[in-house]
Amino acid sequence: MLKGHLDMIVLAALAAGSAHGYAVIQEIKRRSGGAFDLPEGTIYPALHRLEQAGLLSGRWTTADSGRRRRVYTLTKAGNRALADRHAVWKQFSDAIAGLLAGSRPRENPA
Amino acid sequence: MIQNYLAQLARELDFDRSLSRCVLEEVEDHLCEAVAANSAGNDSEAQRQVIANFGNVRAIASEFVVVSLARQSRRAGVAALLVIVSVFIAMKARVAWYAATQWAICEDMRAVGSLVGLIDRYAFLSSLVVGLGAWFYIRSGPIPSAFDPAYRRQLRHFFLLCGAAAAALVVSVISDAVLTALQLQGTDLSAEFLVPILSMAIEIACVGILVSRIRGVTLRAASLTQT
Repeated sequence: MLKGHLDMIVLAALAAGSAHGYAVIQEIKRRSGGAFDLPEGTIYPALHRLEQAGLLSGRWTTADSGRRRRVYTLTKAGNRALADRHAVWKQFSDAIAGLLAGSRPRENPA
Repeated sequence: MIQNYLAQLARELDFDRSLSRCVLEEVEDHLCEAVAANSAGNDSEAQRQVIANFGNVRAIASEFVVVSLARQSRRAGVAALLVIVSVFIAMKARVAWYAATQWAICEDMRAVGSLVGLIDRYAFLSSLVVGLGAWFYIRSGPIPSAFDPAYRRQLRHFFLLCGAAAAALVVSVISDAVLTALQLQGTDLSAEFLVPILSMAIEIACVGILVSRIRGVTLRAASLTQT
């Protein structure tokens, strides 16, 4: 289920500002309270895919360690996509909350 | 341990060298940063944990297959448009040269010339429209996280459109070659021949590059989707 929403999760993590892959993962862990602990390597195909789709832009910088680092930023299209996905998610979560409200699991008749 | 992991990842990403270079640099930075932040007592234990958290190289590489195909097909779309524009410029330069030098097709070949000119115009317009359609199609389509049947269909349609645009362009260039031959027929060989000959050579080279590029990307896509 988490994988189906990976793009939205990555876009949301980058909404706060530009970040490199490792920082994106830390942000996801921090904001989800550690609930989203996905294999870290899966974030990179998602970042590249979103960049190809024009939702992120990537640029190389040099880290304090001297290593080259690719930093990703949400584009205007990325901001729009995030807002759209947010609206769809809210609609879905409200619908599920409505369904669950007042319903109680049945007692086992046996 | 990290270098060994990166070497394995490089082998798995061998299908796209430029993507592989970029990914390896990012992954190395990630792993080194994660090791530095790891609270495990010794360095080799920290490296082991970080690599385990990062995931299986084969699984990661398989997710990059779609990224690579998306990159290559979008580039092929841009290349197709650039080639069509280049052919147009070469064509216009030649026509301007004919006007400047007041070269015209001889009277008895004029009917053939106008028919070939008509074929040329419509073939070029078709290649432009279909090429633009292919570019919009591949740009507007979503890039899935896994290689699913819908994306396979999308790529197949894109390659068909690119093939159709290239075929129409080939017809246009052949028509141009016929028109050039008609123009030069009966004219004495001189330095002025250089402009039409050179512009024709540019057109042929452009079409050759486009056809070989589309063929290359199609073959690559076919081999990647079979693995």
